[in-house]
Amino acid sequence: MQLSNASVSIRPRSPWEALDLGTLLARRHGTLLMATWAAVTLPVFALISVLLWQHPSVALLLFWWLKPLYERLPLHILSRALFGETPNFRESLKAFPGLLRSQWFASLTWRRLSMTRSFDLPVQQLEGLDGKARAQRLITLNLRNGRAASWLTVVGVHLEGALWLGLLGVLYFFLPAPLVQRWNWEDLLGLSGEWLWLEHLSNLLYVLVLIVWEPIYVACGFSLYLNRRTHLEAWDVELAFRRLRQRLLGALPAMALACGLLLWPAPHEAWAAPTAQPEAGPESKRLLNQPLTSEAAHERIDALLDQPPFQHRETVTRWRLGDADDPQQPGALARLIERLLQGGSFWHGLERLAQVLEVLLWAAVALLVALVLWRYREWLQTFGGRVRLPNRRRTEPPTQLFGLEVAPQSLPDDIATEAERLWQFDPRAALALLYRGLLCRLLHDFQLPLKAAHTEGEVLRQVHELQLEPLARFAEQLTAHWQRQAYGHDPANEQVRDALCADWRALFAEGRPS
Amino acid sequence: MYSTLDRQDLLDTSLRVETPEGIDLLLRPAGLVPRALAFAIDLVIRAAILLVLFFTLGLLGKFGMGLGTLLLFLVQWWYMVLFEVLNQGRTPGKYWLGLRVVHDDGTPVGWSSSLTRNLLRFVDMLPFGYFLGALSCLGHPAFKRLGDLAAGTLVIYQEKPQARPALPDVEPVAPPVALTLDEQRALIGFAERHGALSAERRQELASILAEPLGSNEEHAEAKIHGIARSLVGSS
Repeated sequence: MQLSNASVSIRPRSPWEALDLGTLLARRHGTLLMATWAAVTLPVFALISVLLWQHPSVALLLFWWLKPLYERLPLHILSRALFGETPNFRESLKAFPGLLRSQWFASLTWRRLSMTRSFDLPVQQLEGLDGKARAQRLITLNLRNGRAASWLTVVGVHLEGALWLGLLGVLYFFLPAPLVQRWNWEDLLGLSGEWLWLEHLSNLLYVLVLIVWEPIYVACGFSLYLNRRTHLEAWDVELAFRRLRQRLLGALPAMALACGLLLWPAPHEAWAAPTAQPEAGPESKRLLNQPLTSEAAHERIDALLDQPPFQHRETVTRWRLGDADDPQQPGALARLIERLLQGGSFWHGLERLAQVLEVLLWAAVALLVALVLWRYREWLQTFGGRVRLPNRRRTEPPTQLFGLEVAPQSLPDDIATEAERLWQFDPRAALALLYRGLLCRLLHDFQLPLKAAHTEGEVLRQVHELQLEPLARFAEQLTAHWQRQAYGHDPANEQVRDALCADWRALFAEGRPS
Repeated sequence: MYSTLDRQDLLDTSLRVETPEGIDLLLRPAGLVPRALAFAIDLVIRAAILLVLFFTLGLLGKFGMGLGTLLLFLVQWWYMVLFEVLNQGRTPGKYWLGLRVVHDDGTPVGWSSSLTRNLLRFVDMLPFGYFLGALSCLGHPAFKRLGDLAAGTLVIYQEKPQARPALPDVEPVAPPVALTLDEQRALIGFAERHGALSAERRQELASILAEPLGSNEEHAEAKIHGIARSLVGSS
């Protein structure tokens, strides 16, 4: 038994799903199973019916009782087919007599009414177990699947009944009316001999039903058994492990070979010749000496991309109201125009004409706009001012620049005087005050868009851009002194103080803006 | 050599449905036996409802009989539809068996398809006792009866969330080679099912991988458990 040859996907399933797999298995080999079943059962049925012609019910009971024996043939076929060795019709029939011998008596007596018949059959037939070993094995296997196997039999019994009655219904439809009218209760209860053939016919219908159902029943039991063994012995894990082993061990020789080939000193002639066309791009023709050239490959790819699922095309046919009047006359006109336009020079001339027309049209539009503006100039002067866009507020100026408080509220009213006063005991604070004052003025009087990220140098550059000579000079001096004080701890002297304060007063004499 | 092409040929009960997002959904269509049992349960429930109605409405005389006939119609034709549409494709019988009805593409069943599949029961029952329905169900690869074929519906097994089985308590070991998803699943599956397998069988399975994993036969099982634990991660 080679698991890798299995023709079904092996994985642990629920018992119900295992039954479904059995149905599919029977469906795949349906023709062979039904043909062999019919070849075995129909002659048996014919023989029994002939022998017991006077007792149709007994004949049916006897045929039904022998079911476990016929069931061995589908199981034999399925067990071979599972691993890809499906026997043909003749081989199957030849194998059948050999299958009958083992445990036939038990099958027909105390095991005949077992609810799990199809599930037990593989243990008996394929594993060849009997007696105590078989019982123990079945207990192990039945732990979880027993219910499904019984339900399979229950459903099977009802299904056989339903299908049989269905066929009888069909048969009834086919009976000629005069025949049906002659029926009476005595006939239907089988008391008179006249209707024996009808009973045998209905028995035949049961045999026909079994041809369809029994292979499925056996296959379902077999797949239940397989599923249980898959659970118990982890067949799927074994399969995956064997594949992994093959991959890992199979890869080693190949790698050694590849290494050897790489190290093999290649003669110079074997190297690829330099490409003749260095400018060969992805669009140029390649692989010209191969069976599949790049062009052919392109064509094939395009053809493939033109089909579903890459392209979805559909033809829609709909009824529409007919357009009665227009198709003829404009058709003729259009054809005339087309013929006229087909002359090349005429076409060129037309294009130039179109350009001229375009220029003229745009000029007309511009003129129109100008005229409108001129016409309503007074109105615009009067009302235009009011409709101005709402004043766009500048973003709120920052209150801090490189750690210095520059909000106007944080500064004294007269900065120069305050600075002179501070200078006596804290020149650093005095310079800081002056510098803060400068920044504050720059922000609020000159609306410089200063940000916390600007350095002193960048502030200076922005001041220069204002092109106010005294302010720029003052700012330059103040910044230099401030930097020297702040970073170099080099205090400025008295002259500097006086000069700065004087400059401040000169520049911002009119006091703080409100 | 194993390839994906071989695999498609394998007989399997699951159905692969690709969503527009390119995700593969695995649906597991349910076959005749569980469906027949679900139908039987529904039949019993409906019979019980009708019996109760018959006895209570019988007290009301002719009016009750009229009302009963109307309710008979409702129960007979709308029991399945109402349950399927309003209860995620599950009638009580299907719920019991873990089945549900969906469209072919896995979307929940709607009014029109549920009505179609249940009205066509009438066809499935012809000529007697679901004769055509049973044959169609047995013969169709996705186990559809005629009503399912017409409505484009599918009866599938409901996915049940399962508790993750405990892995054997060993030290995680990093896998010595890169593993594909299927191989990782097999290794984890081996560790998860160690309780259900006999000790001899576990040893036998582990010895298959002893050589490729660079381990001897005694320690291969522990090594696979360790790899499985590292693949699952700490949880």
